[in-house]
Amino acid sequence: MSEFYMTEQIDKALAREYEAGFVSDVESETFMPGLDEDVIRRISEMKGEPEWMLEWRLSAFRDWLKMDEPDWALVDYPKIDFQAISYYSAPKSMKDKPKSLDEVDPELLRTYEKLGIPLIEQQMLAGVAVDAVFDSVSVVTTFREKLEEAGVIFCPISEAVHKHPDLVKKYLGSVVPKKDNYYAALNCAVFTDGSFVYIPKGTRCPMELSTYFRINEQNTGQFERTLIIADEGSHVSYLEGCTAPQRDENQLHAAVVELVALDDAEIKYSTVQNWYPGDEEGKGGIYNFVTKRGVCHTNAKISWTQVETGSAVTWKYPSCVLKGDNSIGEFYSVALTRGRQQADTGTKMIHLGKNTKSTIISKGISAGKSNNSYRGLVRMNPGAEGARNFTQCDSLLIGDQCGAHTFPYVESRNPSAIVEHEATTSKVSDEQMFLCQQRGLDPEKAVSMIVNGFCKEVFKELPMEFAVEAGKLLEISLEGSVG
Amino acid sequence: MSEWLESAIARGQDNQDWLAPKRAQALDALANTQWPTRKTEAWRYTPLKAVERSSAKALDSVSDLTPVAIPNVSAIELVFVNGQFDALQSTKALPTGLTVQLGQDLSADQQAEALRSFSNIKPERHLFGLVNDALAKDVLLVTVAEGIEIAEPLRISSLLSAGAESHTRVLVRLEKGAQLAVIEDVQSQGDSLSTAFVEYDVAAEASLEHYRFALQTGSNLTIGGSHFQLSDKSKMHSTIVGFGSELSRLDTDIIHAGEFADAKLNAMYLLDGKELFDLHATVEHAMPNGTTEENVRGIVADRARAVFNGRIHIHRDAQKTLAELNNRNLLMSNKAEINTKPELEIYADDVRCAHGATIAEIDKQALYYLETRGISKSKAQVMLNFGFINELIDLMPNEALAEWVRPIIRERFAQMEVK
Repeated sequence: MSEFYMTEQIDKALAREYEAGFVSDVESETFMPGLDEDVIRRISEMKGEPEWMLEWRLSAFRDWLKMDEPDWALVDYPKIDFQAISYYSAPKSMKDKPKSLDEVDPELLRTYEKLGIPLIEQQMLAGVAVDAVFDSVSVVTTFREKLEEAGVIFCPISEAVHKHPDLVKKYLGSVVPKKDNYYAALNCAVFTDGSFVYIPKGTRCPMELSTYFRINEQNTGQFERTLIIADEGSHVSYLEGCTAPQRDENQLHAAVVELVALDDAEIKYSTVQNWYPGDEEGKGGIYNFVTKRGVCHTNAKISWTQVETGSAVTWKYPSCVLKGDNSIGEFYSVALTRGRQQADTGTKMIHLGKNTKSTIISKGISAGKSNNSYRGLVRMNPGAEGARNFTQCDSLLIGDQCGAHTFPYVESRNPSAIVEHEATTSKVSDEQMFLCQQRGLDPEKAVSMIVNGFCKEVFKELPMEFAVEAGKLLEISLEGSVG
Repeated sequence: MSEWLESAIARGQDNQDWLAPKRAQALDALANTQWPTRKTEAWRYTPLKAVERSSAKALDSVSDLTPVAIPNVSAIELVFVNGQFDALQSTKALPTGLTVQLGQDLSADQQAEALRSFSNIKPERHLFGLVNDALAKDVLLVTVAEGIEIAEPLRISSLLSAGAESHTRVLVRLEKGAQLAVIEDVQSQGDSLSTAFVEYDVAAEASLEHYRFALQTGSNLTIGGSHFQLSDKSKMHSTIVGFGSELSRLDTDIIHAGEFADAKLNAMYLLDGKELFDLHATVEHAMPNGTTEENVRGIVADRARAVFNGRIHIHRDAQKTLAELNNRNLLMSNKAEINTKPELEIYADDVRCAHGATIAEIDKQALYYLETRGISKSKAQVMLNFGFINELIDLMPNEALAEWVRPIIRERFAQMEVK
């Protein structure tokens, strides 16, 4: 294949416009930019929160003021002016909460349709309950009744604060403490909404739960807060996916997700992340600084699967604290960066209990002028008798202007624990390409096939709907970017 | 900033010799350096309290210290005692093509030349490297002339009396096609603090065989670095054997500054008691077509702690690089600790890089097998441990040196078992 041809292919791929880039015209009630205790009080007031919730937010805010922004990740971005961000934005038509889809602002529905999230179709066909978050207020919650039958609670967290204060009080901040890190503290102070899930003892959630996120208002930060509690012996699969419209100013997204898997419970958390990555020069695009962590009690299992293709800057380490004996943590990740994207992502597996097991499979694909880092921690504490970890991090480089990096921290303090870490970096091999083309595949198809094969281990962990979407997303993102 | 560092800076300012311009740079950098804490990435697992507490101080050279003899190895000896070059104990009759000079004995022109290569290879980020820049007095310059192969190994020994502080520095240059083997070691009578840095400039097609033995244990604080710069088609093969001490820290940097250079590094650490050993090995592939292979193995017993950081950095232009790192560790006790961090930082696409790290205990099945053959558990453990390390010892090009180090390692394992 000629070098010219390759260049052309790459250029074509890099010129791809962001498909979900548009701004929908929904009237919004938005705070003026700025952050102080008054703003937090107003957020709390808008949500009609009880006093304890406000106090919790304020104490997090006071901690946040004393904290420093983390600077250890291999990402580079201009300093964020937290006073230039508006901390609340709600679609106006939410004032009198719609009871069904018919009551929803048609403009909103059109926005979802453009993104390929046909709510109605999902209701009818997919059997997926959708708690769609449009900016900061949950718009539609479907299949609530069916879930109620099973005793499953799936509602906006703002609602849970009122209806299930005991659960919220007990578990909110129990996995990710208020002071955990800079962005988590900020989230605690200003989070506007998110999902709350409670699966009762011994219950298998009758359907996969799903939330689609969407940043819409200009200049607003999105601070999601998700809390999932799987009571003893229960099982739930949760799907999170997101995409955002195009704009020029950088946007901060600092979500916190907490998972609690009590004895014998299992939580499967899958993410497809496709926030706006910025233009060719890296202008615009989302800053995705997310804290995700789960606690596994005895015999419990938490599995994180993520497909990350978006955001200008990603800072995200979904983690498992394997507290109970025989508990299991898993992390399956595909991270694709192109253009000027920067991703610093990975996981932490903290083994506390006996015979705990963790598996980490991370696939990084770098193209264009992007940088893609895996950063992980595996820690075997003295009590982690007979614990086991296996880690595999593979990186694929596409083009000679990108970077792929691996920073694994491995710490062991128990001789009976076994830790294995492997990492490789290579490009799509000329031999593979030659072989495919010899058999009549065009280069684009060949690359797509090879990359899909490279990611197979992760894709097979995704629920059906997501696996299809993820494969498609990768294919579009990679269009012709290899020769 | 720590008192220790402040005093080091103050002492550095008193040194007004030919190295003054370089010292001034180092002192400047030190004045702007934060004393490492747990949050300092390069010292994350290695606290420096022992340095702050150290009462070691500069002592005069004494004559009753001599390098430990290595049987069947007739080396060209270069001896430092308490940081000062000991001409009496050092070999005077050097083979043709090998020159050894003290910086202060050079002509003004030569000094100007030497100044350009001083601290040229050792990266500025090494805190104690800067301390060494500021405090090393007798700087040795070793040169092997073009095309010359030196048959005997060159041995650089740094000897310390009890309670001594020493800072030694050697610059080694292998000119085009030259060949040399170097053995570095530090021996101390206890309670010492030493920084020992050696920079190697390996010119095109030259070949360097390198050994560094950090075998002193106990209350010694041993800090040092071996830094290599490889030019076109040059080769290096390095072997590092480390026992821990109260603090033992070694930084190696291998810089591929030319194409088709080949580097091999085999390192092992065997720790016992409350020892600490910290190895930071960095490889910079700045040019295309280089190869690097690193094998690092460790055995950590009792309450000892091992730290390994293996960084491979492939620069944008370093296409067709092949780089591999393998780190395997055996953890022998519930109180011991291993912290390992293999890193890959890659900016070129047509490369093949891999690293792996494992931490586990001795294979129970192998142990059982030996026990069923009537071998006691403790003997079986020594055998298995020894076998694990001996795989790397076997790769040492100098068989006589390997013969010398094997019983030392076996003895170490036997001691580990007594506890």
